[in-house]
Amino acid sequence: MITNPRIKPPIVTDELNTQEVHAFPVWEVFTKKKETDAHTHAGSLSAPNAQMAANFAREHYGQDQVCCSMWIGLRDDFKSTDACEDTYELFVQWNAGDRHVHVGQANASSREDAETKCKTEFVGDKEFYTIWSLPHQAMHAIDGDEDMIWRTTDQSYRLAKGYSKIVRQKWDAIRASKEVDDYQKEDLKDTF
Amino acid sequence: MSASANVEVKVKDGSGEDPEKLAAFEAHVQAGGLIEPNDWMPEDYRSLMLRMAEHHANSEIVGALPEGEWITRAPNLKRKLALTAKVQDEVGHGQMLYEVAQDLGKSRNAMLRDLITGKTKYHNCFNYPCPTWADICMIAWLIDGAAILNQGTLAHGSFGPYIRTMRRINMEEAFHFKHGEDMVLTLMSGTEHQKKMAQDAFDRWWGPSIAFFGPHDRPDELERPAMKWRMKTATNDELRQKFVNRFAPAAMATGLVINVCEKDEHGMVTKATPDPLLKLDEETGNWGFTQPDWDEFYRVIRGNGPCNDERVALRRFSYEQGEWVRNAILNGQTTSQN
Ligand SMILES: [Fe+2]
Ligand SMILES: [Fe+2]
Repeated sequence: MITNPRIKPPIVTDELNTQEVHAFPVWEVFTKKKETDAHTHAGSLSAPNAQMAANFAREHYGQDQVCCSMWIGLRDDFKSTDACEDTYELFVQWNAGDRHVHVGQANASSREDAETKCKTEFVGDKEFYTIWSLPHQAMHAIDGDEDMIWRTTDQSYRLAKGYSKIVRQKWDAIRASKEVDDYQKEDLKDTF
Repeated sequence: MSASANVEVKVKDGSGEDPEKLAAFEAHVQAGGLIEPNDWMPEDYRSLMLRMAEHHANSEIVGALPEGEWITRAPNLKRKLALTAKVQDEVGHGQMLYEVAQDLGKSRNAMLRDLITGKTKYHNCFNYPCPTWADICMIAWLIDGAAILNQGTLAHGSFGPYIRTMRRINMEEAFHFKHGEDMVLTLMSGTEHQKKMAQDAFDRWWGPSIAFFGPHDRPDELERPAMKWRMKTATNDELRQKFVNRFAPAAMATGLVINVCEKDEHGMVTKATPDPLLKLDEETGNWGFTQPDWDEFYRVIRGNGPCNDERVALRRFSYEQGEWVRNAILNGQTTSQN
């Protein structure tokens, strides 16, 4: 049975005349998988504003696994060196290759101050690779209790483990029926 | 899908860099060290990593096109839900990989435009047709299975942002693969008609699956930048052998026959004969197999495959049709900071 797709767009090779899109700002997304976990860097995304970034983050970084809370911050806000008196959220990347993990908060007068406090209060003598800090007020939070992140319907169809049992059963059935076929070959030849 | 396989680029090896810095960098990555975006890296490492991530991103979003076209024609609700989730995942893989590439210095917009104007490529296997539902089953089982093997090794590479992305992606590929296996087993334990559908689709996809890992290794493979700088941690031929060792016996156990096929210009099989080289070498534990048709591979990669034009046209159509959405978002934009 061969069927055709519904859309067959024309094959065009002339110049593109759609407008270029100006680069959207980049946002960093942190997810918390369960209550006892710390917020951990999940990845980044490009979006024009905080609201679009939040929608995108929920759909993209909240759907791969159970997720109870998300934080989203503009990448530029992690870099700005403007003095800003605030409570800073502190993230440490312990080794190159690791994800940044939230270690705690510190009241600080600037980013530099915040990162110094992060070292004294949360890092100590341990080795680390990089620190990220963000003024609390610049962080957008999505609480999974109030604003759904992980859907409450059964989503096992989109997880590998949702298939392990049925796949096993099907293999068993195929193998068993092969054995029966082999066994019955002799039957078919003569008497039956 | 696969980043490293069949990227046709002129590879430079870092000559021109400060020899001391280069030597320290190479010693670091060869000892298993990782590189983060703000660390020093040779300019050639940056540009090769960028092209790898961009090619990988292109492959994810083009790969979702033939599958997306089957969502409306899925055989039942359960399969439709799973296929929709898979397509969402694949486009999501593209989004994450474009972020990695963008951070290495090329704008997302330039990447999207280069893809639809043919300046950059995507994985060759998506230039083949997908005429039946069984092709969807085979793509998920064989192509996603090949992608997991490949990306599993890429996740041990040297560039931090890329390997973090690989780990997240591989978790989702595991679902695609298991779902594919479930669908293939369903067909192969079904009616004669279903089994024939599966065999026909398998004949179309076995060749592209073993070609998936890219051309033969060169004699100096391990000295080339991608391996030397640990962007890749296994060679194309190693991965291909691993794939055949895993999938040939599994396919045969379901009742599928591994054929060597001739195809017409539409990618449809005109002649299929059982692979004469297919047998287990007891000593090495490796399965023998007939190599993919490399002439066909290069013909398709240069743009003359059965579906090259159609895939790019659909991507371009989506980009052009999406213009008003981008404008609406940009013009109705509130400030991006609070
Ligand atoms: Fe993917
Ligand atoms: Fe996939």
